[in-house]
Amino acid sequence: MSQEPIVEIRELSKIYRQGDINVTALNSVSLDIAKGEFVVLMGPSGSGKSTLLHIIAGIDRATSGKVLVQGINVANLNESELADWRNQNVGFVFQSFNLIPVLTAFENVELPLLLTALNRKQRREQVQTAMNLVGLGDRGHHRPDQMSGGQQQRVAIARALVTDPALIVADEPTGNLDSKSAADALGILQALSRDAGKTVIMVTHDPKAASFGTRSLHLEKGEIVA
Amino acid sequence: MNVATFVAKNALRNGRRALLTIISVAVSCALLISLLTLQRELTTPPESEAASLRIIARNKVSLAQPLPARQLATLDKIPGIVSVSPFSFFGGNFREETVTSFAQFAVDPARFAPLMVEGHILAGTYEDFAKDRNSCMLGADTMKRYGLKVGDKMKLTGTFYPVDLDLRIACIYEGTVDDRNVFFHHKLLDELTGDPGTVGTWYLLVESAEVSNDVITRINKAFENTSAEVRAETERAFQMGFISMLGNVKLLIGSISTVVVFTLVLVSISTMSMAIRERFRELAVLKALGFKRRELFSFILAESFGLAGLGALLGIGGSWLLWSQIDLQKLTNGFLVYFEVTPRIMATAGIVAALLGIIAAIGPSIAVARMSVVQGLKTLD
Repeated sequence: MSQEPIVEIRELSKIYRQGDINVTALNSVSLDIAKGEFVVLMGPSGSGKSTLLHIIAGIDRATSGKVLVQGINVANLNESELADWRNQNVGFVFQSFNLIPVLTAFENVELPLLLTALNRKQRREQVQTAMNLVGLGDRGHHRPDQMSGGQQQRVAIARALVTDPALIVADEPTGNLDSKSAADALGILQALSRDAGKTVIMVTHDPKAASFGTRSLHLEKGEIVA
Repeated sequence: MNVATFVAKNALRNGRRALLTIISVAVSCALLISLLTLQRELTTPPESEAASLRIIARNKVSLAQPLPARQLATLDKIPGIVSVSPFSFFGGNFREETVTSFAQFAVDPARFAPLMVEGHILAGTYEDFAKDRNSCMLGADTMKRYGLKVGDKMKLTGTFYPVDLDLRIACIYEGTVDDRNVFFHHKLLDELTGDPGTVGTWYLLVESAEVSNDVITRINKAFENTSAEVRAETERAFQMGFISMLGNVKLLIGSISTVVVFTLVLVSISTMSMAIRERFRELAVLKALGFKRRELFSFILAESFGLAGLGALLGIGGSWLLWSQIDLQKLTNGFLVYFEVTPRIMATAGIVAALLGIIAAIGPSIAVARMSVVQGLKTLD
């Protein structure tokens, strides 16, 4: 594993407005994540772990502070630039898989590639590689409702890595899976970090899932406490 | 997969809803086309180039008041007029009918021929008609409708005049804007009615469209301060005068059409809003994957446009097919004659459907544009 930092967070704060009340989700968080690390964010509900993940992934904005991902200050990107940046640099894995039900597994994985300049043949090759990596090379023509939860999550992982992003963010990816499927999914994420040098940041409540990571961070009331 | 496949799969994900949306657009389009065609039929008289060369002179007091036959000598002297013929509406019923779908006019065959600029003789000869005062010239549409032929007899029972006509068909004409009418000798009408020395109207042909206004002025002036002042006007203006008797049909049909379109807009907006609302989470995922607002707007627009387009295609094609196959003239006893779904009407319906697709996409697109990824991901399935 390389020690080169891919994510640099400095004095990051996020304050939500709920009615007349300001809620501090993150309070001056500073953090470095090295390339190839598998970082696990843990903590009770409302501790700010998902908010931190969202800001790193560029789907939420910080109130103050700086987030540099591969040297790019994400906060300085406008909506359109941020969308391009996410497509090229971030792979998402969600708790409820979030696959498009009317598309086949293959088409779901191909979706982020529609935004690239790749031609149809190149897209097919790249999708097939990703599907093979998650062990579903022969399930491409199945729709999500024809697959188990574990298989759907593996399709979601294939979709996350098909654009070859540097960063993979996973928000409670095992929350809807049985222990066997969860172990399979986590094993894939672990291999991606360990063997392919991908940086994986995962939010989880599950200590077993956390054991797959290389580093665990514990958040409480918007601060990293351990 | 390409973007088109993606859009098509999304549009058809809920088959029943997509089908109902397409059908509702199709039915509304067909209804709109039917209303616009009806409006056209009722408010736009058949037009021809020759109509601008023809003038009708009637009694200034009312169309029902006759004009003295002696006016012909004065009309013959007015420069710019090529031919003048008496033109009296007979208004008889054919066979046992109580409402007859074709009109009958008494004319002077010797003077009337030049007035039929667009028409030509299909069967028989005009000369035969001109020679025999008990004969008539029949329009091809009426001939077909009643299965008549040259030599057949036509018995017309008078309703305006207390006389009946028993006419021999001397020739059949076609090619005019209204190939239904029957023309017979004014002399016959004069004979049967005791030669009252009157005509219903005068039907005139002028040299060119340029002189038509001058001729109208001269005719009106020629009979000023006489016992029978006339009102001359172009054939088109005369027809529009008839139409105005129907009341403001244009406004009525226009209002109904507006209600149809408005209802259609509401249905489409509601359908698209529902379709997008239930996919908020998916759209948030697409945003997370890197799809931009404009791309999501394109997807929604293409979906909305596609459904509206399919509906329009069905509605326009269906109504065109329907109205071109049904003999409305027969069904409506001649009230509706052509009921032609013109390319202009079809284009109007197409544009309405296209606008509908755009309008229906605007609301959901704004909602999706405003939605943050995080907020969208929190949406329940």
